[in-house]
Amino acid sequence: MTPAPTTDARLADPVLAKARETLVTGVGLAVPGLRSVGDLLTDQPPADGFDPATALKGREMRHKDRASRLALYAAEQALADAGLLDGEGRLLGTGDTTAVVVSSNLGSLQTACDFTDTVSRETVVGLSPLGLPQTSSNVVAGWVAIRYGLRGPNLTVCNGATSGLDALHWARNLIVAGRCRRAVVVGVEPATEHVDKLLGTRASDVACAVVLESAAEASQGGSAHAPVRGSGVYARLAAYTRGAELAPTVAETEALAPVPVGLRLTGAPARPPSTGREQSLDLTARLGDCSGALGVLQGAVAAVHIRTHGSEAVLAFTGGGDFDDAAAALLLTGGDTE
Amino acid sequence: MTWDITGSGAIANIGRTPGQIFDALCAGQETRNPLRAFDSTKYRTRHAYEIDDRTGLRDEPWRATKWLVLAVRQALADAGLSEDLSRTPVLVGTTLREQRSTELWWTEGVPVRPSDLHFGGALRDAFGAVSTYTFANACSASLYALGLATDMLDCGTADTVVVAGTDSITESAFGMLDRVQNESPQELRPFDVTHKGMLMGEGAVAVVLQRPGTHDRRPLARLTGVSMNCDAQHATAPDPEGIRTAVLDAHRRAGVSSGDIDLVMLHGSGTPRNDETEAAVLSEVFAGTSRAHAPLMTAIKSMTGHTLGGSGLLSLVVAVLAMERNTVPPVLGLTDPIEQAAGLGLVRGGATAADITTAQINAFGLGGINAVALVEAAA
Repeated sequence: MTPAPTTDARLADPVLAKARETLVTGVGLAVPGLRSVGDLLTDQPPADGFDPATALKGREMRHKDRASRLALYAAEQALADAGLLDGEGRLLGTGDTTAVVVSSNLGSLQTACDFTDTVSRETVVGLSPLGLPQTSSNVVAGWVAIRYGLRGPNLTVCNGATSGLDALHWARNLIVAGRCRRAVVVGVEPATEHVDKLLGTRASDVACAVVLESAAEASQGGSAHAPVRGSGVYARLAAYTRGAELAPTVAETEALAPVPVGLRLTGAPARPPSTGREQSLDLTARLGDCSGALGVLQGAVAAVHIRTHGSEAVLAFTGGGDFDDAAAALLLTGGDTE
Repeated sequence: MTWDITGSGAIANIGRTPGQIFDALCAGQETRNPLRAFDSTKYRTRHAYEIDDRTGLRDEPWRATKWLVLAVRQALADAGLSEDLSRTPVLVGTTLREQRSTELWWTEGVPVRPSDLHFGGALRDAFGAVSTYTFANACSASLYALGLATDMLDCGTADTVVVAGTDSITESAFGMLDRVQNESPQELRPFDVTHKGMLMGEGAVAVVLQRPGTHDRRPLARLTGVSMNCDAQHATAPDPEGIRTAVLDAHRRAGVSSGDIDLVMLHGSGTPRNDETEAAVLSEVFAGTSRAHAPLMTAIKSMTGHTLGGSGLLSLVVAVLAMERNTVPPVLGLTDPIEQAAGLGLVRGGATAADITTAQINAFGLGGINAVALVEAAA
């Protein structure tokens, strides 16, 4: 059974599009050797790349699992990029209307395996009570919310290969539904021996964060001296499709692009035939599988690309492999609201 | 805006359908058993509310997936829908996903692929479903999923959404719970002064949610509002402010006030801190209601154990049956309520006959994530 893809093309209606516009206003990254999302668009590694051995330390990082620490690092970068943190790294304004949406498939794998080993070896007495939060797969979203006082909906998407793009989609849904005005979306997968064994390949630490805001929220918070807050608007989420097969899912999404697609962000094995006119970038060729982090990485890279090449659209897609239950595609366009 | 609940399905230790579960709850059946899933000599806690469906003595993988498919199948049949979900979204709330299978992969070499950790593949195989989402939102997961489903119906993305929850006990989570509880409870006794903590249960639950006017079924009940928020205070302890906000937001969304509510399905996990916080917040929220209008309250975890991600939706399915059958099951084993619950209309001793029109369902999860739903009897 191969049903047609389901496109969330509500934004095709210009009036609805205006009211429901969801904008990218900040991006952040925690990938060893890289400094910012822009580094993924060049082959030149920065001199001062992220080093998990030194960067994941400090009071806020203590007693936390690796996925949570990577996510906290990336979230801080993204919130700062959006101009939402004060000099001490605290959230400016209230967190009541900010959601957290995390995508991770393998973040709690190590916890499940290690704790099982410990019980087997030492009985439950061998477990440290400090590990309680990480027994639940939503641990990352909880820590990000606590760190910045984000009291809006708090959602953890564990949805396989498409999970990262799905997380961006659900964050937008929360904004469109009026459940929040802003969302911090984090995709994270930690490098552990357990992940290597399950994937059958060497995995890297990957965390990426994207701040999404409603158009109304994005236009607030600047000052008389600096009317644009933070980095301003990078891009907008224009359409999302989920379908059984990759090629029709991508084609349906691309058909909604109001301007030519200048960059296709693919993920192995997601490589449908290209028209050959646009650039193509497979982030997994450089970073490995990325699993639940991939879609959020793609969203961030798309946003930075659009910032540099304003008139182009970017099409990102994940899933569609032999063992994947579905494929998903996300279209991002310029943030210019006119 | 309201949404029609047109079908339900459930499986738990206490029954294999919503009707069986409801009857057993009303009969006050004690069904917790000595721990079977794991080598009990490794634990201080020796009881759980397991579904005892293993074929041999050893634990088996994919039980959460199996129950999920069963519950969805029941809900579709109940709603008179076909098993073709190729155009219907399925939202699944879970705490532990298929982590028990990954534990068996790690310790015994059971074959597991990365794509087996969530439920999309099984839902595609069983129902052709493609628009499937697994949300790991701890013990409020299935009510979170329910709220997201109402948003989909409101936005016009779908006319019908299947919402579900499922969990099987994992060794890592059961072990850690055992480790952090000061005493080892032999049974889950919410709101009683003898409560010693939580005991895990297992099971799956599903409902079919449809936009009014898009189907020809008589709804089982109407969903009138779902709130969702986060305490953003503490990783494991509940925060009264976050819970109060979630309850009041659910009332606002449903357009009701505390005096309109006839029944509260409590989260009632049986841990002293959780029970005290929930009871104190509800005592405050319902303080203004006259005695004649004070809602009845019950906590089904006293008989199902804590079914984790699906527990909120299971409470909702029981509330819908309570409305239909004019009966509210008791809190099993409740004889001496904790001080914070002294003024609450907790049902004890046995099932109570009652005319229920409006019910509130609470679900609170680790990480301070809260979701509260309101349902109304179908007129």
